[in-house]
Amino acid sequence: MELIKENSLWKDAFKRLTKDKWALISLIIVLAYALVAIMAALGIVASDWAREVGAGNLPPSSEHWFGTDMFGRSVLAKVVRGTQIAMSVGLAASLIAIPIGVTLGALAGYFGGWVDDLITWLYTTFSSIPNIMLLISITMILGKGIFAVYIALGLTSWVTLCRLIRGEVMKHKEREYVQAAGAIGGGHLRKLFLHILPNVTHIIIINTSLQFQFAIKSEVILSYLGLGVQGEPSWGTMIDDAKLELSRGVWWQLASATFAMFLVVLAFNLLGDALRDSLDPKLKGK
Amino acid sequence: MKSLSLLFSFMLLMVFACSKQNNFDEREINLISPEKIAGFDPINASDRYSGNEAGKVYEGLFEFHPLKRPYELMPNLAEALPIVSADGLTYTFKIRKGVLFHDSPAFQGGLGREMKADDVVYSIKRLADPKLNAKGWWLLDDRIAGLNEWKTKYSSAEATNYDEEIEGLKKIDYYSLQVKLKKPYPQFLYALAMPYTFIVAKEAVTHFGKEFLNYPVGTGPFILPKFEQSSMITYVRNPKFREKLYPSEGEEGDDKLGLLADAGKKIPLVDKINVHIITESQPKWLSFMKAKDDLLEVKDVNIQQAITPEKDLKGEHKEKGVRLFMNPVLDVTYFAFNHEEPIFKNKKLRQAMNLAYDRVGYNKMFHENTAFEANGPTPPGLAGQRKEFKNPYIKYDIELAKKLLAEAGYPGGKGLPTITVQTRSDTISRQQVEFFEKSMRKIGINIDVGMNTWPELVNKVTKKQHQMYTMAWGADYPDAENFLGLLYCPNQSPGSNGANYCNPEFDAVYKVATIMQDSPERTAMYEKLNESVAFDVPWVIGFHRTDIYLAQAWLKNFKHMEFNHSQFQYLNVDLEVKKQLIKKF
Amino acid sequence: MIKYIIRRLLYLIPVLLGVSFIIFVLFNLVSGDPTAVLLGKNATARQMMELREQLGLNKPLFDQYLDVVRSAFTFDFGYSWATKQEIKQMIIQGAYPSLALSVPAFTIATILSLIISLVVAFYRGKGIDLFVRVTCIAGQSISALAYILFFQYFFAYKLGWFEISGFEFGFPDFIPFIALPAIIFILLSIGPDVRFFRTVILDEIYQDYVRTARAKGLSEVTVLLKHVLRNAMIPIITYVVIQIPTLILGALLLENFFSIPGLGGITLNALNSSDFPVIKAMAILSSVLYIILSLITDVLYTIVDPRVKLK
Repeated sequence: MELIKENSLWKDAFKRLTKDKWALISLIIVLAYALVAIMAALGIVASDWAREVGAGNLPPSSEHWFGTDMFGRSVLAKVVRGTQIAMSVGLAASLIAIPIGVTLGALAGYFGGWVDDLITWLYTTFSSIPNIMLLISITMILGKGIFAVYIALGLTSWVTLCRLIRGEVMKHKEREYVQAAGAIGGGHLRKLFLHILPNVTHIIIINTSLQFQFAIKSEVILSYLGLGVQGEPSWGTMIDDAKLELSRGVWWQLASATFAMFLVVLAFNLLGDALRDSLDPKLKGK
Repeated sequence: MKSLSLLFSFMLLMVFACSKQNNFDEREINLISPEKIAGFDPINASDRYSGNEAGKVYEGLFEFHPLKRPYELMPNLAEALPIVSADGLTYTFKIRKGVLFHDSPAFQGGLGREMKADDVVYSIKRLADPKLNAKGWWLLDDRIAGLNEWKTKYSSAEATNYDEEIEGLKKIDYYSLQVKLKKPYPQFLYALAMPYTFIVAKEAVTHFGKEFLNYPVGTGPFILPKFEQSSMITYVRNPKFREKLYPSEGEEGDDKLGLLADAGKKIPLVDKINVHIITESQPKWLSFMKAKDDLLEVKDVNIQQAITPEKDLKGEHKEKGVRLFMNPVLDVTYFAFNHEEPIFKNKKLRQAMNLAYDRVGYNKMFHENTAFEANGPTPPGLAGQRKEFKNPYIKYDIELAKKLLAEAGYPGGKGLPTITVQTRSDTISRQQVEFFEKSMRKIGINIDVGMNTWPELVNKVTKKQHQMYTMAWGADYPDAENFLGLLYCPNQSPGSNGANYCNPEFDAVYKVATIMQDSPERTAMYEKLNESVAFDVPWVIGFHRTDIYLAQAWLKNFKHMEFNHSQFQYLNVDLEVKKQLIKKF
Repeated sequence: MIKYIIRRLLYLIPVLLGVSFIIFVLFNLVSGDPTAVLLGKNATARQMMELREQLGLNKPLFDQYLDVVRSAFTFDFGYSWATKQEIKQMIIQGAYPSLALSVPAFTIATILSLIISLVVAFYRGKGIDLFVRVTCIAGQSISALAYILFFQYFFAYKLGWFEISGFEFGFPDFIPFIALPAIIFILLSIGPDVRFFRTVILDEIYQDYVRTARAKGLSEVTVLLKHVLRNAMIPIITYVVIQIPTLILGALLLENFFSIPGLGGITLNALNSSDFPVIKAMAILSSVLYIILSLITDVLYTIVDPRVKLK
């Protein structure tokens, strides 16, 4: 019975999501970015980004839509390649943060007592060190490169999720259906994973859509500090280049990277809002 | 909402009310330091910019003549050049009389006392104090008789005993002292002109203790009562500065340039120096262009904004009376191989990489064609670099490079692993290695860029954990030894020979040459050293760069100077010119 | 209440232990050897060895950890390795410019965001709602760098409205220096703020008590300001207060580009020179601040909303 209710909630949510045209457009944008990223990762597009396509610092033209960089490489190819980096940073950070955040949050919320104390202590400790400092020091210590960025972002972004899940699980624990599941002899883990977690998935989804953009923006800052991705073009390094180029009037690299970032951040934001509105039962009355 | 708009208008009002106006009443000059200053202890003034700041308040026994080129030492706190014994080991110095330290609560009655020979002895000993771990210690390491022993003796003791006399460092009377060297050290006098050996007062060191670095008490032309971490350091003229005169002779042509207009006048010529600390390139440039600063060291991207491709000052700056100074620097840039890596024992590979490096493109892209391709480690302008010498591997020849690469056993780069080049993590460094990567790819060599914070890079180099790294080396003093030492085997990591290059023949000649006094024979040996490594190409040799400065019309007496920590006392400002020209900004 | 506060303050102890542990693991255990960079380009092997000894890097690891813990509780951070300055002084000197920039900017940004989000909530679902949200998101997704480069060039240099860079101590001397970076700060933080506030306010708008209030015939504006805002205050306060510790780090990029000698620059320098004691000090300081502030928030809750009881 629980499952049926579950299904209808999702169906309902999806229906509402598709009715909101901005959310739909955002979803399409996000999917398009994902597609570009996958194609870039597979080497279908922009695999030859390092090739010189013309003279250095050419402004946008019909031949080079986004212009060329100082080495004569196509800025368009770099933006596409950078999309892959940005999306992979977001994805990897989520893949690290979700298991940690969800497991710890669920355990803390469900069991309470000393487990809760321990986990609360853990995330309080983590969140009391400024994020940017943790990010910088972890990347510095892991020796840079994209994996360091993944791990640093993953290790800093589980905290919020953990806190949210904990609160939500606490609420659900007392609900009837969980009590009922207990009565028919479900073990703790069974109750937690089969009954409670499916009911808090929306938190994960909403949070992830927001974490994604946080990750993308963090990559830019890390690149500015020279701690970002190496040997591959990323939006961060492109914006970083602009620091030196802008005074020569070379604006297209900055503009392209900024626009690429703006679009996806905007899409994630609107999508996150829409998801929230359609998945969060509290707002159902809207 | 109302209160908010009120707040806003209040803020805007404040902004306009507070915008600062130019100051025409005081004879002040405004300079820029592109790096943050950590403190004012001379023994740790290891980089150029902290040296420049220390040089405004402190002085050494010698200084470089502000006008004469090639660089010439002249006595400063010493009365004359020292008397050197025949074996070149014993130096006897006379100290100038009547030199006063700045007034400071460290002294009795708050009045600065006279500087004497004891202070010189004390200041040099401080450099060796094991408790202080001075950055400048390398300068005197194993040079002065008894100094190393003294350092070792107190390294595990509670406190260092400065009263213990050292054999090689003795005061003769109040105004003279004697230094005995362990072995000839022809660069010794240069060492005494460097910020490391500036003279400090013992009272100040003891009185301020750990805070000494914030309370510079020197003998110099300017006073800074207290140093604070801030965006501007303000120095005022030292009213009790001794009678020191602006030089009346200089290099040929200085007269025409107006550099001798103040000849014979008592220095310093200005009342105040403001040093703005601005690290990013855009605000530096804009500040100068807004006439907030009088002198600008033009770097990287701003070069294009300053000069035309013909290397002339752009018209818009000329109009405002801005002057351009372009002078070659005593430095060398390079991509060092780690010679402990087996692949780099292969000379043909090294040669191929040198030939594949597109220096012309690089020079255009990063230096606006102002740098000079280096033929060896020693920059022109130092004895030891023949003008007509041309390194056969310093040219762009892809075909030859490919041929040599094949001969090296890696036809088309096959069989060669990807080489990681370590560099700093700032934008320009990254782009420079990206350019190198692009050059090498043309002959089939794959390069990875390894970006590091400064400590990481230093660590990788000192621990030999790199394949290649890129670096620029600037002269500490004008002697080729300072550059050739980069390839001397005993200097290998953690020393300055980060390439870990070892060549017994080179070392043998180096050992002899560097303890000789300046002479035609020594120059010949330096030339031989410089040229012998040229064929061996221990690095992918880069450039000798050019310093580019812009000076406002009203800044007088500026002449490019490599070792410029003592230069600021000679600068002057023409307020009339400033008043007229300021309207154009 | 007092009991509660004491208990929460005692909670500082385990958290500080945890923070010191993380810092210790990150820096003492895994990070590189700082001696080479601290001694400059001509360092000798022997000197590096001696320095390691002096800095206590050769001590047993447990002793090193105890040192970190000790400084976390005594606030005695000692001296910076890189600049040799006393860290307490560095922080005191750096806090002034950092706070001079971030406190007004943060306050204005928060108030402005609150106003915008109330307006947006009022017009929820309409064109203006979407427009404001898109503008806010656009504002925050443009890189800070782009703002800085452009604003500095245009407003400070071309128009001459503000100082290009630098800082002067003392009020109101610093205003022309911080005005422009503060504006950029506000532009960057309005986006996320409005986003969050809007959600919180909308959360409340659909609650039963709001419907009751409307039913009583109160105008929408009164409902928003009197009822909704008051109830939305708790998450808003939490959100705002949690950000405060990050303020002491200042706005790193802004400080760098506008030559403001604040804590952001100090931290960045420390990270760039493996200056462990300074990093440690900054981390410890901000976590203490974080905990104390979250305590204050909890106490504030009882004032804002008497229904909240402290456990």
